[in-house]
Amino acid sequence: MIIITGGAALKGYLKYFLNKLLWFLVTFVFAFILNFTLPRLMPGDPVRAIVSRLAQGLSDATGVQAIYEQYTELFGTNKPIIEQFFIYVRNVVRGDFGFSFSMYPRTVADVLKSAIWWTLALQFPAIIVGWLIGNTLGALAAYLKGGFDKVLMPVSIFISNFPVFGMAVIMLVIFGVVLEWFPTSGGYGFDMIPNSSWAFIWSVIVHYQLPFWSIVLIAIGGQAIGMRSMSIYELNADYVKYARFMGIKDRKIVGYVFRNAVLPQITGLALAIGTMVGGALFAEIIFSYPGLGYTLYNGVMGGDYPLISAVTLIITVMVLSANFIIEILYGIIDPRIKAAQAD
Amino acid sequence: MRKSILFLNLLVVLGLVAACGPAPTPEVVEKVVKETVVVEKEVVVTKEVEKVVEVTVEVPAEAPTAAYPRNETLYSNGQQWGPLVGWNPYSTANNNAMAIANDQDSARVIMFETPYLYNMLDGKVYPLLADGDYTWNDDRTEITFKIKEAAKWSDGTPVTAEDVAYTWASHVKYNTSIGVGYKDYIENIEAVDAQTVVVKAKLDENGKAVNPLMVAAYVAKCYVIQKAWTETLEERTGGDATEFVADTAEDVVYSGPYHGFFWDDTKVVYIRDDNYWGQDASMWGKLPVPKYLAHTIFKDNAAGSVALAKGEVDVSQQFNSNIQLLWESYGLPISTYLPEPPYGIGASLPTAFYNLNSHGLDQVAVRKAIAIAVDYPTIIANAMTNQSATFEQVPRSLMNPTPGEQEMYDHDAVADLQWAGNDIEGANALLDDAGIVDTDGDGWREYNGQKLSYVATCPNGWSDWQAAIEVVAAAGKEIGIEITTNYPEWSVYQTVVTKSDAPLPEEGYDIFMMWSQGAGPTMPWQRIRCMLSSEFVGMAGNWSGNWGQYSNPDVDALIQAIPGETDPDKLKEMYTELVRIYLTDIPSFTLMYRPQSFHAVNETVWTGFPHEGDGTDPPVPPLNCTDGWSIACLYNITLVNP
Repeated sequence: MIIITGGAALKGYLKYFLNKLLWFLVTFVFAFILNFTLPRLMPGDPVRAIVSRLAQGLSDATGVQAIYEQYTELFGTNKPIIEQFFIYVRNVVRGDFGFSFSMYPRTVADVLKSAIWWTLALQFPAIIVGWLIGNTLGALAAYLKGGFDKVLMPVSIFISNFPVFGMAVIMLVIFGVVLEWFPTSGGYGFDMIPNSSWAFIWSVIVHYQLPFWSIVLIAIGGQAIGMRSMSIYELNADYVKYARFMGIKDRKIVGYVFRNAVLPQITGLALAIGTMVGGALFAEIIFSYPGLGYTLYNGVMGGDYPLISAVTLIITVMVLSANFIIEILYGIIDPRIKAAQAD
Repeated sequence: MRKSILFLNLLVVLGLVAACGPAPTPEVVEKVVKETVVVEKEVVVTKEVEKVVEVTVEVPAEAPTAAYPRNETLYSNGQQWGPLVGWNPYSTANNNAMAIANDQDSARVIMFETPYLYNMLDGKVYPLLADGDYTWNDDRTEITFKIKEAAKWSDGTPVTAEDVAYTWASHVKYNTSIGVGYKDYIENIEAVDAQTVVVKAKLDENGKAVNPLMVAAYVAKCYVIQKAWTETLEERTGGDATEFVADTAEDVVYSGPYHGFFWDDTKVVYIRDDNYWGQDASMWGKLPVPKYLAHTIFKDNAAGSVALAKGEVDVSQQFNSNIQLLWESYGLPISTYLPEPPYGIGASLPTAFYNLNSHGLDQVAVRKAIAIAVDYPTIIANAMTNQSATFEQVPRSLMNPTPGEQEMYDHDAVADLQWAGNDIEGANALLDDAGIVDTDGDGWREYNGQKLSYVATCPNGWSDWQAAIEVVAAAGKEIGIEITTNYPEWSVYQTVVTKSDAPLPEEGYDIFMMWSQGAGPTMPWQRIRCMLSSEFVGMAGNWSGNWGQYSNPDVDALIQAIPGETDPDKLKEMYTELVRIYLTDIPSFTLMYRPQSFHAVNETVWTGFPHEGDGTDPPVPPLNCTDGWSIACLYNITLVNP
């Protein structure tokens, strides 16, 4: 057993922290450059697409050309890409993501602002609930074994391998069209305007269910499988056997096992939360649910560089931050990591 | 930890169970509405409401807190895709589909109005802001019309000739797409007095109007915008052309019967202006019936179709696949303009263009062989689910299926040139006679020693077009010409095909699909021009037509001459000649007929929508009750259960 003095532990931890911070910054710089560059390498000219909307049916060549030049100037796409990059950096630092090409003259900030709440409100609870239920079921399956495990395991594998759109369509047809328990489209009643009445809140809850469960069900399956394997592994570990010999209560042992088994699952949760602004594309399309996924999809299809860059930048920052926080927390939670760094 | 997990699970499950009641029916909602109105009286509560709303969704300043009753609201789909951007009638980038479609063949007139309304069914224009018909001077260089005395803006001031003149001047000054599009044809628009407007045509070197058709089109296609408000906008944007069209203009003054009531990422709702001038006896004599027009934003056609079937949509403007099943199999009160296929009135001609520079496609025999071998009935059955007339019903020409256009050419004169497809034998004979045969025995024909191999293409995800392109490719196999398919993304596709200042790429775009113009006051001339005129070859951004870059001086001369011609017999002769050349040279071939707008209605709540033989005079066209003369529909509909 290694005995570490307080000072050495702190020094080791600081080294660990600085190391992680450095990697965070290096990764961020590279990701930022890629965020800017990759969308602009896509084939096709997005400004031409805007001009197509403005100039449909126009027959005057010079007029169309004039409109085209006016917009390349406005969006800065006529400048060399290096210059565009530095302008972009300057603007992003100020919090200005520019105009959305596909929804001009709306700004990217405006587009994100109106759509992102729907996505967060749908995705965040779905990820958390899916994670909690999945892990609880997985741990129970490993602990209880027998019939529960034999049913849960195949069902989990079956459900977790469903593509999201498949699950969404099945739920739409069964619960929306055939049984008519839930509405099939929209974020709230088609004949309502947001207000604080119970009728409206009820309508939001009812509209929430199908998109929500179509995401949750799939998450449950995947989480349950992972948690079950981790728990079985931990249940057979030496410390569990030792604890049993010592006569420690089952309840207490399950607590130890859960804490150890859940660590990798937390990393998965952090990543899921980090990527959630990317949106639940299929759930949004199939249930015509408002949100960012569809907006981003249209942005990609329309070569809307500023919108793509802004969303991928948010995803980058969230994933990196989530990872960073998890790693820092691991240093504190998991003695093994701390010990490794102190060597 | 366990306890909290259990508690959360319980909550979630409860949520599911509790939500398992049936979705609120219209009747339930109606009751809710009445209750909310009572709440509104308590001022303190309403304030709280506004705060809550600001956090979750964007709401216009004067956001109402009550819902709008189902039996006062007409619901549409298929027009608005994605959230709206603005209310600026000078801009074409508002994505405000229900309110703003300026310079459209049948202008959308619920909020902004044109002097005249075009009626696609009889091809005539009817006065809206204008008082009586317009008149040409003897030289056909000037149009004169009057503005109705009763016409008023939403701020109560009268609509004047000065507004019409200032609108035009602003379009030109700020280089809007309308300014750019019409300045080659319109010299100026002047106000003679408060009521009288003169539109002066641009003249050619002989002192004749360059194009009288385009001059007349302006008064039926382009909105009149208030001068006073335009000046406010100019002041706000400091005279900058880009700012001028980028302004979202939420303060805009309008003359039409509806304006914005509520909009967010899920829907757009318009409310009737009960002071609307059109209730004057000189126009409609009453207000439009629905108090609200609403459009839920669906993310694809499938979601819109489900809502139509459920009675959440009254007027559907989107493509509903196999629409007839809704009444034949499900017995729903849903109908289309015609009870039988093609269910609607075709107006545009989705067309496959040949890249005339591709190896072998410079040969008429190859172009014709492919075109006559294609199985059009399959395209119409699969891609359009029979919502297109067949080429037996409406033989191919350059005209759309409306009776007005069909009368404009001599059918007998070109009958031997028209084809209805599936003529494999004829196609093979044609190629054999032209000496284009399979010489090396690989199953594919060669021309000048090189195998005939083409790529047929259209944008990815345009499923009806993709279905059509697959049928075109299948025809190749039958006649020894290899045709494969490829579907680039739209962003790439449009960049390639609209670049007419250079030849199309050597590979990948041999046979490609694009649209044609629909029905409007300049048709069929404008459609023919867009399909055949060589003036578009050489344009860097060609959004007009002739994407295959066909060039024929005889065709150009005819297109140039038609707008100035007024003798109907001569016109018919000229159009017939154009059809003859088109069906002989085959630079492109039409694959189907497509309506101007799809039009299906669910008569659960409202009834009295336009359908064939509905007794209206002039006939109300099936254009969503919003476009051109079809807005008359809003004055004709009634509640099923008043």
